[in-house]
Amino acid sequence: MTFFADAQEFLPALLGGLRVSLLLTLLSLLFGLPLATVLAFGIRSHNPVLHWLSVAFVEVGRGAPALVVLQFMYFGLPTAGLTLSAMASATLALTWTTGAYCAEYLRGGLSGVPQGEIEGAEALGMTWGDTLRYIVIPQGWRIALPSLMGFAVILFQTTSLAYTVTVPELMSQAYSIGSSTFKYLTVFVLAGILYAMISIPATWLSVLVEKRLNKHL
Amino acid sequence: MVRVRDLSKAFGGNPVLEGVDLTVLEGTVTALIGPSGAGKSTLLRCMNLLERPDAGEIEIGSHRIDARSRFSKRQLYALRRETGMVFQHFNLFPHMSVMRNVVLPQQRILGRSKAEAEHRAQELLARMGLADKGGQYPNKCSGGQQQRIAIARALALEPRVMLFDEPTSALDPEVGAEVLEVMKELAAEGMTMIVVTHEMGFARNVCEDLVVMADGGIIEQGDPQRIMGDPSHPRTRSFLHAVLQR
Repeated sequence: MTFFADAQEFLPALLGGLRVSLLLTLLSLLFGLPLATVLAFGIRSHNPVLHWLSVAFVEVGRGAPALVVLQFMYFGLPTAGLTLSAMASATLALTWTTGAYCAEYLRGGLSGVPQGEIEGAEALGMTWGDTLRYIVIPQGWRIALPSLMGFAVILFQTTSLAYTVTVPELMSQAYSIGSSTFKYLTVFVLAGILYAMISIPATWLSVLVEKRLNKHL
Repeated sequence: MVRVRDLSKAFGGNPVLEGVDLTVLEGTVTALIGPSGAGKSTLLRCMNLLERPDAGEIEIGSHRIDARSRFSKRQLYALRRETGMVFQHFNLFPHMSVMRNVVLPQQRILGRSKAEAEHRAQELLARMGLADKGGQYPNKCSGGQQQRIAIARALALEPRVMLFDEPTSALDPEVGAEVLEVMKELAAEGMTMIVVTHEMGFARNVCEDLVVMADGGIIEQGDPQRIMGDPSHPRTRSFLHAVLQR
């Protein structure tokens, strides 16, 4: 049973990598979701400058593969005089991707709030600010949340691209163990299991949350 | 008093209201009837500026807005504060409990404390026969209950006039009757009400004033019993004939 013996030997390094992968996911969501909120409102804005700036930001973020953005931040920016650490440039790149994709989900959610409820609030005499705060945003978030959670799972898997810019995440740990022991099969099976152990329950969780949220709708 | 003067509104070049004048006295109930497309709902929605009229004046209590001139947000909210509106599809907030639906607007718009707002909400819900529904969510309530919640939500803000936009059109006749009963009580208490409706019984028996609209204007106005008994305008006659035949 050399697989289990190897697994036991590789696991600490792989778990260390997993921790970095999760950290990168969390940081990207932490910065990316507020950015997405701003962009979603930017796209809806009647101000043409704000509108087109947001559209451009979102379209580039969704149009360019995450790998390209990542390489641009790490290898491209130093040429322009800005050098970031591997972790910082990966966070920046994935924040952009997160902001761009989630802006679209949020925008969809916000425009999915029934017009009648907005009119209900307006007819009561609520200010536009209050209508956004109490009616549109809470409900828009609810509508968008399943897509956002689905995106978070994909983002977690996308962090594996960060191995190309030397971030010591799970994929890069697996790769370095593989290249020093030549036990690629074992180590990538293990890495795959670790990714799945997070991704699959997270997907279940998102289905559960969706059901709970729809209870009152 | 509610007064609308020379009100006009077009949607994309299509005139919906053309120079409408209407005065509703304090404490009276006015029914707006007429064929669909006559502009009844649009007239009602112009009164609280859910629709912005192209021209004309709206006066409710001491607040007056001229559609042609600029008005501030403050003036807009002040006018809306004088009105409460009840919609065909209730338009409750589905993510809030029934209690919070009635409490939150009081807190945000009147600045009432939570305790005060809850007290008032409970009082109104009880009056609507919904004393035990506060903790429920709107989608757990029947259509008739939801509409009565919507009425309580609007009344909690102590409006000067209540605007009803086909409040029973989405309900079964039986359930609609519960809502009409509540509206009748409100009328008896002296609430000023303007009601867009197809309920001819309500228009005849509860309303003091009947306004018949067709093609973006008012074609006839007066005592409901008289108009229904002896309409003077041919459009009114054919409309009433069609409705009462059903």
